[in-house]
Amino acid sequence: MSSRQVLYIGCSDWRVPESAVSTMLPGGIFVHRNIANQFHLDDDNALSVLAYAVEHLKVSHIIVAGHTLCGGAEAALAAAHASCPPPPPSGPLARWLVPLTEIAREYEDLTELIEANVRAQVNNVAGTDVVRAAWADNKRKLQVHGWIYDLGTGRFRDMGISVDGPSKDDVL
Amino acid sequence: MPQDYILARLLSNNAQWAEDVDRAEPGFFAETAKGQAPKVLYIGCADSRVPESVVTASKPGDIFVHRNIANQFHLNDDSALSVLTYAVAHVGVQHVILVGHTNCGGAAACHAAARKPPSAEPPADPLTRWLAPLTEIAREHEDLTDLVEANVRAQVTNIAAADVMAAAWAAGKDVQVHGWVYELETGRMRDLGVSVGKAGPV
Repeated sequence: MSSRQVLYIGCSDWRVPESAVSTMLPGGIFVHRNIANQFHLDDDNALSVLAYAVEHLKVSHIIVAGHTLCGGAEAALAAAHASCPPPPPSGPLARWLVPLTEIAREYEDLTELIEANVRAQVNNVAGTDVVRAAWADNKRKLQVHGWIYDLGTGRFRDMGISVDGPSKDDVL
Repeated sequence: MPQDYILARLLSNNAQWAEDVDRAEPGFFAETAKGQAPKVLYIGCADSRVPESVVTASKPGDIFVHRNIANQFHLNDDSALSVLTYAVAHVGVQHVILVGHTNCGGAAACHAAARKPPSAEPPADPLTRWLAPLTEIAREHEDLTDLVEANVRAQVTNIAAADVMAAAWAAGKDVQVHGWVYELETGRMRDLGVSVGKAGPV
């Protein structure tokens, strides 16, 4: 089995040790980590990782992994429910958390937000030209998954939201 | 959908790892969750052959991590900038380590692209755009190892030029930026000796 069959997109958080991820397959996994495991559709950083993984390494699985007690999610939740309207984002960290703050308007509970975040990023990945092109190739199998890492136990949980093709509601 | 064999194996290996950690160090997960602040921000390549905790000899919980194609730090990239900002201004890391590695596919791609005539059109796809700065660097380097090192030096320079670093240094924080190269062939980490701190080169 090729050791590069999996792309992992996770959070930069130091409490999600890389060993938890790399021991998942011998030889390791192709990894992209950023604040709050985001996949923004205008982010060349994440888009280039995805393109390289799907088109060059030919990964067959993409895992978007959130985690409990995510500081980025906490910050977004606080910003979304602040009593005063927040100032326009100044600086890269505030800008980076804008999409997650939008999602956070619909949630009170941190765990629910963390899960909603993973669902949203899985949808973003599934909506890219790169992934759709791979799905259009009948000889190719590619699945996108959403997982949550529980800091308290060291265990990943599959959220059961995997996608392996465009939604039948899509008009292409 | 039926769970693929690969996924089942990933999850079962993770469960085994969690059990092994718990046995070796009972209470590790609960302790780490409360978490002391990490001292190191590691910025490296997405490549699976460069596992960051191994190459920095870190214990779990020690390092804050950003990984992308060819260990880049572009000054207009909110992804890397937000990680640097959080690490330096909020968490208070003491070291930012930019790590390149030999046999880097991104560097090799740029090396090849630099030897073709430059395109008249600006790059149209994210990967080509992402690698444009490194392709420029690659025009000056025939040797791939030289290019890997030049890339690390350039990214260290970029990090040192970021606003958040200037602000940290102006506030007297002794945070240092380092450039290392991991040699896949030997497993050795090499410090390029290009470290920068609040008083300039270290």
